[in-house]
Amino acid sequence: MPVTVRLYGAYSGFAGGARETYVTGQTVGAALDALVVTHPSLRERIRDERGRLREHLSVYLNKDDVRYLEGEATPVSEGDVVHLIPAVSGGR
Amino acid sequence: MAKSVAVLVGTKKGLFVLRSSAARTRWKVEGPHMAGQPVTHASFDPRDGSSIYAAVNATWGGPRIEVSRDLGKSWKTAANPAFPEGTVGRAGGDGDSELTFKETWHIEPGHASTPKVVWAGTAPAALFRSDDSGMSWTLLPGLSGHPTRKTWNPGGAGSINLHSIAVDAADPKKIAVGISSGGVYETRDGGKTWAPRNAGLTTESYAPGVIMESGQCVHHLVAHPTVPNVRFMQAHEGIWWWNDAQSRWDSGGDTGRPANYGFAAAIHPHDTETGYVFPLDWPQRMSNELGAAVYRTRDRGKTWKRMSSGLPKRAPMEVMREGMATDRLDPAGVYFGTNAGEVWASADEGKTWQRAAEYLPPVLSVGTATLV
Repeated sequence: MPVTVRLYGAYSGFAGGARETYVTGQTVGAALDALVVTHPSLRERIRDERGRLREHLSVYLNKDDVRYLEGEATPVSEGDVVHLIPAVSGGR
Repeated sequence: MAKSVAVLVGTKKGLFVLRSSAARTRWKVEGPHMAGQPVTHASFDPRDGSSIYAAVNATWGGPRIEVSRDLGKSWKTAANPAFPEGTVGRAGGDGDSELTFKETWHIEPGHASTPKVVWAGTAPAALFRSDDSGMSWTLLPGLSGHPTRKTWNPGGAGSINLHSIAVDAADPKKIAVGISSGGVYETRDGGKTWAPRNAGLTTESYAPGVIMESGQCVHHLVAHPTVPNVRFMQAHEGIWWWNDAQSRWDSGGDTGRPANYGFAAAIHPHDTETGYVFPLDWPQRMSNELGAAVYRTRDRGKTWKRMSSGLPKRAPMEVMREGMATDRLDPAGVYFGTNAGEVWASADEGKTWQRAAEYLPPVLSVGTATLV
């Protein structure tokens, strides 16, 4: 399933400045796996050594945080957009 | 003959590089590299004269190690140190838990005879070895899985971490590490097997009456760069010099220092009996009412002299465990960085000080590169 992945802030920087790319996959997790094939520099920035999504990364499918859907198992449809957004987690 | 010196300043918001000629009187500030991201430690590799390794412990994207081969002009991200699946051990909290890489605390170039070997100390406490000049890392399970790990407790910044790596000047297989709070461990076979090396250390301020094989609160351990078997450290409780013949630590005593407590420690590059510390008052962890000063010993810690000429009087300062370093010139340069974003430099072995940089973010580490 072809989907668009948009990278924001630090995650664009980790991908050498790329802001948008296109991958195929049946789920959000599969789309992320495809993303790190085309952008290997994102591999350890997106997931830790056990394959878990990093804590301060928010992954949205269109307008929804996948934490409140089915996580990485959330199915994607043609034309969907997966957003990788640095969590707004500073400010102390 | 050295042509210049670079001081690598890791801060809460990136890595700055201070450059000067060998005179060390005028400093140019470059950076920040990795802007906005905490650089806990950065080290120069004197073996190739151009590599810098930086421990970047960022929130976004997680912890990583950045490597430069051109003295900071460009950077490449290394593969992270990673614990093999199924690795468990004490990481804080109750009992054992799965160990996964959280932070890099110290990166140390290996011995000159092993030019591609680099060591990294992490939280949770473990030592990783690179055989490709810092681009990939392998866990040394003999240390992280040591039977005494159960005696380690959270120390620095609430984690159990390995923050000091002291490679022996003569023997590349002889390495000592400092763990908070786990004590000092030594390998003599390149990292396969490890033994606690804590004999002589006292723990009266935090474990009164207890004789501990391991678990001591070590703050910063350094090895002499050219003379074997010389180690020096600032611990939670006092200054200690390694007595290799007796395999124990000798107390530096109290004479001349305002406090036993402190974090930073640096050794003189040409004199095995000279070291520098930055005493702090407990519990505020700032210099006392006399103000900031470096203290120098020339007799393995028996006596100490206050070195504060040029430093602001009565100014309280805090210097972190990686916050002080010496260069390799003669006379030796001494440097420290503060939580208030200043870097102070002495080109005359601590006699006089000048401010080399100000208004930086809080300084987490100071390292040097003596360039020829």
